[in-house]
Amino acid sequence: MNSPDKTPPRWAHWLLTTLHPHETLEEVEGDLDELYMYWYDRAGRTQASLRYLLNVVSVLPPFVRRRKPSKQQDYRTTSNLHPDMIRNYLKIAFRNLKRQKVSTSINVIGLAIGLATGILIMLYVQDELSYDRYNEKADRIFRANLKLQLNGKDVGGPSLGQNAARDLKQEFPEVLKATRIRGQGGEFVSYGTTSFRQDNLLLADSSFFDVFTIPFLKGNPKRALAEPNTVVLTEETARKYFGNQDPIGKVLSFGNDKRPYRVTGVVRNVPTNSHFRFDMLATLVGHDQVIDWPGWLYSIDYQTYVLLPEHYDYKQLEAKISKLAEKQMGSEIQKWLKLTPKQFRERGDDFGVFLQPLTDIHLYSRSESSQSGNIMYVYVLTAIAAFMLLIACVNFMNLSTATAVRRSREVGVRKVLGSVKGQLQQQFLIESVLLAIVALLVGLLLVGLALPFFNQLTGKALAMSLLTNSSVAAGLVAGTVLVGLLAGSYPAFYLSSFKPVLVLKGRATARRGSFNLRSGLVVFQFFVTISLIIATVTADRQLRYMQSQKVGFDHEQVLVIHDTHMLRNNETVFRDRIIQSPQVVMGSISGQVPVGRTNMDNTTVRTKENPDQGVMTRFYFVDPEYIPTLGMRMVQGRNFSKSFPTDASGVILNETAVQALGWQKNPIGRELIGHTDDNGVNIIYRVVGVVSDFHFESLRQKIGPLAMFLGRNSGNILVKTRTDKLPEFLASLKQQWESFAPAAPFSYSFLDDRFAKVYVSEQKIEQVLTLFSSLTIFIACLGLFGLATYTAEQRTKEIGVRKVLGASVGSVVALLSKDFLKLILIALVIASPIAWWGMNQWLKEFAYKVTMDWWIFALAGLLAIGIALLTVSYQSIKAALVNPVKSLRSE
Amino acid sequence: MRRTYLGEFEEVVLLMVAILDGEGYGVTVSQALEEHTGRIVTFGTVHNTLIRLEEKGFVTSELGGGTTERGGRRKRLFRVTALGSKALQEIQQLRQELWGMIPPKIVQLSGQ
Repeated sequence: MNSPDKTPPRWAHWLLTTLHPHETLEEVEGDLDELYMYWYDRAGRTQASLRYLLNVVSVLPPFVRRRKPSKQQDYRTTSNLHPDMIRNYLKIAFRNLKRQKVSTSINVIGLAIGLATGILIMLYVQDELSYDRYNEKADRIFRANLKLQLNGKDVGGPSLGQNAARDLKQEFPEVLKATRIRGQGGEFVSYGTTSFRQDNLLLADSSFFDVFTIPFLKGNPKRALAEPNTVVLTEETARKYFGNQDPIGKVLSFGNDKRPYRVTGVVRNVPTNSHFRFDMLATLVGHDQVIDWPGWLYSIDYQTYVLLPEHYDYKQLEAKISKLAEKQMGSEIQKWLKLTPKQFRERGDDFGVFLQPLTDIHLYSRSESSQSGNIMYVYVLTAIAAFMLLIACVNFMNLSTATAVRRSREVGVRKVLGSVKGQLQQQFLIESVLLAIVALLVGLLLVGLALPFFNQLTGKALAMSLLTNSSVAAGLVAGTVLVGLLAGSYPAFYLSSFKPVLVLKGRATARRGSFNLRSGLVVFQFFVTISLIIATVTADRQLRYMQSQKVGFDHEQVLVIHDTHMLRNNETVFRDRIIQSPQVVMGSISGQVPVGRTNMDNTTVRTKENPDQGVMTRFYFVDPEYIPTLGMRMVQGRNFSKSFPTDASGVILNETAVQALGWQKNPIGRELIGHTDDNGVNIIYRVVGVVSDFHFESLRQKIGPLAMFLGRNSGNILVKTRTDKLPEFLASLKQQWESFAPAAPFSYSFLDDRFAKVYVSEQKIEQVLTLFSSLTIFIACLGLFGLATYTAEQRTKEIGVRKVLGASVGSVVALLSKDFLKLILIALVIASPIAWWGMNQWLKEFAYKVTMDWWIFALAGLLAIGIALLTVSYQSIKAALVNPVKSLRSE
Repeated sequence: MRRTYLGEFEEVVLLMVAILDGEGYGVTVSQALEEHTGRIVTFGTVHNTLIRLEEKGFVTSELGGGTTERGGRRKRLFRVTALGSKALQEIQQLRQELWGMIPPKIVQLSGQ
């Protein structure tokens, strides 16, 4: 049966072996052979050959059905996601990470810092955006703000006059509730014999709790502030005054007349993310005099809030309010400035009312308070966080790609052993995700360590517990995995695309493009770094500039003793007693202390000859010692003096005021209308002197007009000292203060400190920038260090050859550093105009500012180059010092 | 119950695999087909049908040992799965039921 003749035709057989799918070739070949013999035995060679051919054709494509390789295969490949494979990935990842300790730690540290920054800034931004949202009706509450432009200066603000709320409620049915609050500042509040200085005392209407959501612990929110002279305390304040006693019904007293207030409720402490804060909330009713004056401009201290229906477009109401405001405010302008609203507008000024959503108040109000947020800083910080993360990712990509040489053999061998591209990609992606997760853990640790410092910097009370929120935590992990995938994607696709043949011949990564992706990434990193350096230097210069500016008076060694009005009649006695001390040069009693917002009195003064022309002027009430104590300079005329009894109706103007009034020539002796009394009689003041301009606000504002009047306006004693034994001096002051037994404790501040406090927000920005730019520099350097390591390693042989041929160490170092320097220069060229533009935007906020000098850019560039050189030099010098025999022997 | 789709030729091949009881592979199935039904089909048809039956889960296969008459090449032996035999039984049962529903006259007619 088995004769050699009985073989099928060769060419037909060849056809079968070449065209039949190889998975089933063996069995089909065998079957057809058997059948051939069967046919041969039954019908002879020709028949058998014919049928064989026919049957071969029937098993060739397209007729043949292919056996699906996945269904049943003899050499089954393991699924990429098989647990064993994943264990294998992890194992290899772990080994690789362990073997390349330097690049692993660079990666982990870089990513961890990036993530930590991201988390911190996320916490910060989240907090900034959460302001006032604790109110259940947050999206329906709006604040009616004053729009007022006087003499070209924006003097509008968050408040309106006393009657605005009442009118809004009466006139517009869509105003469901209208409520007012008024800040009272500090007060001395006594309970029985004890008394405290109570900050954050707010006065409010009884409808306050209908609008805002502050949960009550005790008392009834509906009736809490309904009766006059009642007060609601926060938990903390209640404990301060009453300990564990029940505060309800107890009576506190405060105010000039020591009026009694009955406690009607205790509420939770006001959340920190609230644009107003109070420790004590007293009734407005009964506290302010009822004025039957229709206008909204009188006594503009009332922050007015309205509650609107759901889904109501507040712009609609705003338009209606504007019409009413025109009437109410117009009449006042008519009365005070003797101008019709039309004339007022023709002068280039404007007035009106606009509504501001509650949730915008924190970030979009332009207020002087350092508490208030700024949407710009939110954007800037978010951008910085994104950049830091990006740079950390870039480092990762750079380093992983750079270390590809070391891994390339592995890739080659694995490919030869049958790994498919997908498997290798998964391997690399899992490695980078693993790394990212480790970095996340380290980053969380860093956040924990940095949070107290960061809180101090930003003045917030952020807590780690915010991260335990399940959705935040999930987002964090998902984000980290995403960062890992992103960071790993480039190396994964790059490494896995190696051709095994080339790799194993050692030629895979030899390509060195003139400007490849990696160079682009280095440029990007240094672009961010240099921009941040420029920003930091500029912010720092601006801050120093503001602090070193001649403010026009002597603020050194000036002590401010607060609350001296509590001494009542003894205020002057106390002052006279302390200036006896040899350590005191001079002392002055005044309510107004320059710098900071102690007094917001802005009133219009008019010249007697031209009463239509009003000038918005700040009023200071001083005594004759004020100007010498603060070392201010008289430009013309003289200071107030006790020997001139007529000085009671005298006024001292600053230079700006003189100019604004148009009195450049001979201002002395001229007369102005200070104010109009209740009977409509103009009170006239005569100019006795001109004081040189001094900054009474921060340097953000231009110096405005200022008028000083002689007056008993007590509150503070300013003491010019000349002592180097401050603690003893202060102790003796305190003793003397206590000998008068005032109700208030002795408290003081230094004018210098107050001065510094004005710049708190600039200082914060400068500190935040310094922190972030140093972190960015650090991360960028980590990346550069890694790259330098890689370059040096890759060019070992080249360096060896050069050294054999006589190159010096210096020339080798130069060779290795040159490439990086080029990239940094490119980064500098890109960063300079962008940083210049950005910082100019920021500087626009200041009336007095530094210029962006060319040397800042040069400095930033030099700094970046210097740091980069330092980073690179270690590796370069190491490479240059290696004995060439060693590096060349290996082949 | 999920209907099992089984073509007529598939059914016959499946029956052959069942009849051959473990000895069924390309050659024997083709020969049995020829012998019992008189149908001569190309080998490709048989081969494709076996693969399709396997994809449907009616048969399993494994490569058996090679024999000299095949030049040492292994043969793929097929065996009916539980699902396959269940499908055959269902078909059989269905046919019987349907037969039972034919009026007697027609049966006689068609029987003759």
